Amino acid sequence: MSAYITVATPMIDRDLLLQALADVGFGEGRIVVSDEPLPLVGYEGSQRAQVANVIVRRQYLSAASNDLGFISTPTGYRLIVSDYDRPRFGATWLVQVSERYRAREAERDARLRAEELERERERKRQLVEAQRSAIEAKAKRLGYSVTVERNQEKVRLVLVRRTY
Amino acid sequence: MSGRFINIARWISRSRANGPGERFVLWVQGCGLACEGCWNPDTWSFAPRQLLTPDQLLREVDRAGGIEGITLSGGEPFTQAEALVPFVESVRSRGLSVLVFTGFERAELRSRVASRLLALTDVLVAGRYDHTQVAKGLRLLGSQNQRIHFLSGRYGPEDLDDVARCEAHIAPDGVVTWTGFPGEFVNE
Repeated sequence: MSAYITVATPMIDRDLLLQALADVGFGEGRIVVSDEPLPLVGYEGSQRAQVANVIVRRQYLSAASNDLGFISTPTGYRLIVSDYDRPRFGATWLVQVSERYRAREAERDARLRAEELERERERKRQLVEAQRSAIEAKAKRLGYSVTVERNQEKVRLVLVRRTY
Repeated sequence: MSGRFINIARWISRSRANGPGERFVLWVQGCGLACEGCWNPDTWSFAPRQLLTPDQLLREVDRAGGIEGITLSGGEPFTQAEALVPFVESVRSRGLSVLVFTGFERAELRSRVASRLLALTDVLVAGRYDHTQVAKGLRLLGSQNQRIHFLSGRYGPEDLDDVARCEAHIAPDGVVTWTGFPGEFVNE
């Protein structure tokens, strides 16, 4: 029976970890995900004492592999890998996963920033439109003819009232 | 052109509420007249606010593009006539017209440098703002005692018919800036 070792990682976000694993070939269908940690299974089919929240089942590693897992901890996920599988799924493999994790994290952060910027732009657009609408309505009530001109995000209202 | 600085409060590139057609409007900084009820008391102080050379300012005018002319307001343009003359000369050399709002009566503008600026001015709106004589609906006038002088042949009274009473400029952040004579509108 191959012993398991545990390796700390800085990866803390489950979705990003799953995306990183998919990037290195362990996509949906090859991964078991559970809020409650589940036991890992050894190459001979028996449950081991080690548990994990994200598990790559042994049949997707190699014929004689043991399950490989990631257990969630307050300081980040920890990789649980057997001695047998460590040459292929040890430190070097973990560097690949971590790089994909950081890349996915950067993509997510960029997407969140873009979404936040768009929300802010939309909020300002609505504010500008509310101002325009209020001024236009008041001007018309006072008898002004109003011309609305737009230049990108700026709005100009020209108020004319003939007195003859 | 002279490199002497003009003390400026602000400008807008385009306005149809400060004279005939689309105009670049410049509010100079500094005025000693202190008219009660003045709309722009922030422009009274003579402390430097934005100092630009005539050349720098001219670049802003050129950037505006497609305008009929410039309008000088303030603040009091004639207290900076020396610095403004070379700027206004360059403006006129581009075929643009010049309208000046001043708190002085025309008869008070007798100095050599004031005469030079007047000689470059097409329309002069002159006189103190008198808050007891607010001019409601009179084009370009804040109070009824003020007078419009057509100093060149370029414009006459009919050219003011289409001047907007006021304008609201809404910035992308929602801040509204009024120009022209919005008092009646804003104070309703």
